[in-house]
Amino acid sequence: MQQNDLIVIGAGPAGMAAATEATSHGLTVTLLDEQPRAGGQIYRDVDRVADKRGDILGKDFTYGRTLTGGLRASGTTHLTGAMVWSIEDGFRVSFTKDGRAAQITGSHILLATGALERPMPVPGWTLPGVMTAGAGQILLKQSGVLARRAVLVGSGPLLYLIAAQMVRAGTPPMALVETQTRGDMARAMRDIGGAMRGWPYLVKGVRMLATIIRARVPRYVGATDIAIEGRAQAEAVTFNVAGRAKRIACDTVLLHHGVVPNTQAARSLDVPHRWDDGQQCFVPELDTWGGTGVDGLFIAGDGAGIGGAKVAEMAGRIAAIRIAEAVGRLTVQQRDARAAPLLRSRASDNAIRPFLDKAYPAYQPALTPEDATIVCRCEEVTAGDIRRYAGLGCLGPNQTKAFGRPGMGPCQGRYCGLTVTALLAEANAQTPEQTGYYRIRPPLKPVTLGELAMMDTPEPDAAE
Amino acid sequence: MEADYAIIGGGVVGLSVAWGLLKRGKRVIVIDGDDGAFRASRGNFGLVWVQSKGMNQPRYARWSQQSAAIWAEFAEELGDNTGHAVPLEQKGGYDLHFSEETLQETVEKYETLKAQLDGDYPYEVLGHNALRKEEPHIGPKVVGAILHHQDGHANPLRLLTALADDVRRMGGTVLNGKTVTDVTKPDGFHIQCSDGTVIGAAKVVLSAGLGAAELGPKLGFKAPIRPQRGQVLITEKLPKLINRPSLIARQVDEGGIQIGATNEEVGLNDRVTQPGLSGLAAEAIAAYPALARAQLVRSWGALRVLSPDGLPIYQESPQMPGAFLVTCHSGITLAAAHARLLPDWMERTDAAPDLEVFSETRFAIS
Repeated sequence: MQQNDLIVIGAGPAGMAAATEATSHGLTVTLLDEQPRAGGQIYRDVDRVADKRGDILGKDFTYGRTLTGGLRASGTTHLTGAMVWSIEDGFRVSFTKDGRAAQITGSHILLATGALERPMPVPGWTLPGVMTAGAGQILLKQSGVLARRAVLVGSGPLLYLIAAQMVRAGTPPMALVETQTRGDMARAMRDIGGAMRGWPYLVKGVRMLATIIRARVPRYVGATDIAIEGRAQAEAVTFNVAGRAKRIACDTVLLHHGVVPNTQAARSLDVPHRWDDGQQCFVPELDTWGGTGVDGLFIAGDGAGIGGAKVAEMAGRIAAIRIAEAVGRLTVQQRDARAAPLLRSRASDNAIRPFLDKAYPAYQPALTPEDATIVCRCEEVTAGDIRRYAGLGCLGPNQTKAFGRPGMGPCQGRYCGLTVTALLAEANAQTPEQTGYYRIRPPLKPVTLGELAMMDTPEPDAAE
Repeated sequence: MEADYAIIGGGVVGLSVAWGLLKRGKRVIVIDGDDGAFRASRGNFGLVWVQSKGMNQPRYARWSQQSAAIWAEFAEELGDNTGHAVPLEQKGGYDLHFSEETLQETVEKYETLKAQLDGDYPYEVLGHNALRKEEPHIGPKVVGAILHHQDGHANPLRLLTALADDVRRMGGTVLNGKTVTDVTKPDGFHIQCSDGTVIGAAKVVLSAGLGAAELGPKLGFKAPIRPQRGQVLITEKLPKLINRPSLIARQVDEGGIQIGATNEEVGLNDRVTQPGLSGLAAEAIAAYPALARAQLVRSWGALRVLSPDGLPIYQESPQMPGAFLVTCHSGITLAAAHARLLPDWMERTDAAPDLEVFSETRFAIS
């Protein structure tokens, strides 16, 4: 088996930039990604889609071709359609591709597994017709499908981006039901200094809002008591705004209140994490280069803490430069010289974050939902169940998992993890950090027993 | 805080003993660890099992049989008390064989044991065709099986939850997130926790699983226990595929197929490995070929709590009378015995079971 200098997992901006950079320094690099083509979620299918729907999706999207082109030219081994289901120390990466299990080894790993949408468990969120705004956007990117009679609910820049794309595609949303308040914006203004350093983001935000307003999409800001009505399917969104009850009949509800790092792979390797109060999520503890507490293991992109596509790209390159030095392809001086401008622009691109985090906070009632709301969709466990398990002595999510199965389903706890931690922290009067998170084990992604068994290599019989 | 009994360790073993003592009107405090503690109660395979146990010590076979015989009643009482059933099925279990030789060897051992147990060892040997009638999905590589009628399986997590619930309902105090650092006996027992909590009790039960290795000597026990890793797999929920459980695979009440388990001496490492997963998957597919298409949903490693001969240890401390060591690697099978029979031993009643063969004196000669 060939030993790689670097295995990169995820072909979004961080992964593509890292693989390209590392290969340019002469490292042997393999890039593994689930999608059939490079791009990640943000530049999903950009090579195929940019010409068809580039005008709807915008310049920031078509920029992704720079990265996919760079990756192609670099000579990186890029394995597409590869589902990584286990990463072990050493490093040994097991994955399935075209129905066959395979394994590669490498001295360094870069996890570039990106972000997940923060789940938004409000009453009715599991009804058909309700999806995350990101899932709605994937449909648009990949198939050009747009939901008609759709209401966007939640907060954050991605909500505006999707609304603007829907407007440009000719099917504007029926309404934007926004959960952030004027008080949030006032608090955010204290960080306007940092935000001004990130002024191109502010300009983009203003443009998106202008597009939405020009299309006369109704906006309800500071919405509370959000619920989705419907029997077999979503039929309406109900909420209160400024003390008045509203109801908007619709067919589709797109929920979004921010994204959080996808920490599953890092957790499976016992990388230490800390709670980030600003972003209301766990983030891995990293050094300047993206190095973790596990020797040889690096993390870049939104999986390291939400920073967006440009920050991800620079962080990917920064980590690759450090790894190039670690394997002796760059001296420390060369490393520092090459990384310096990237470190500077990463810092300036990150400057907008405190402003955004405060201006568009997560919707509080969805962080610790009311008792009747389902929090674990796979096993249909409610918030009330979790509170009852806390009453039976569960201090952390691994005990509740044993008591009531939340986190045991096919999603591996990706979608209920933060909610369960928040509910337990509240019930036990502990911090999220003290409460902890699910112990993540293989499989990180689905694998059949048949695929696993293919890798069974019994010890050769001494008699043979 | 004062109690008749302080129980160190709030897993299935500790809670079963606590439950039994509470039923006898004792005041009980259970001291439990945190969310990340090594917990065999969360990682075990869930069998209520008799066959193959005590091949060299008939008393252990008998003890397992005694517990299996009263398990259903125990589960029913827990279900009635808490309103949440503890699923249990006792319609026999298999030891599957891939070669005639191993099947024959095992049968010979079972015959010896059966004679020692005065014939109370109800098993039968099924050839491939007979087995196939019982288990239509069995694979051609399985030459036969031993069907033991005293075997069965339970939902061990429902048992854990029901015990945690019922111990509280009966007035037991459970302290979670504690680490016991020392136990002294100036008059009664003083149990010291790392967070400064001190618990006073007339008697102490040490049922802390692997934690007993460190605490045991402070209480005058040898506590020669070690971890042994078992990796376990579970598939997506499937329609009925397996009727009776075996050591290789069982279909749990929720529908998933649980596959186990490795036996690895790797210290306190409870990780999952690709070779472990692959080996277990290959064996399960050899037994039930239809499993090749099943999706793996979860896998885990858990640490068995093993004594040198694999048998439980029940020992009262010679240095600190009133302190009991209770440890075993079959906490699910023995849960009913621990709840209903063991309290008589600690309370020295006339009904006390004879547990002499499980004392630590057996480790004196090495």
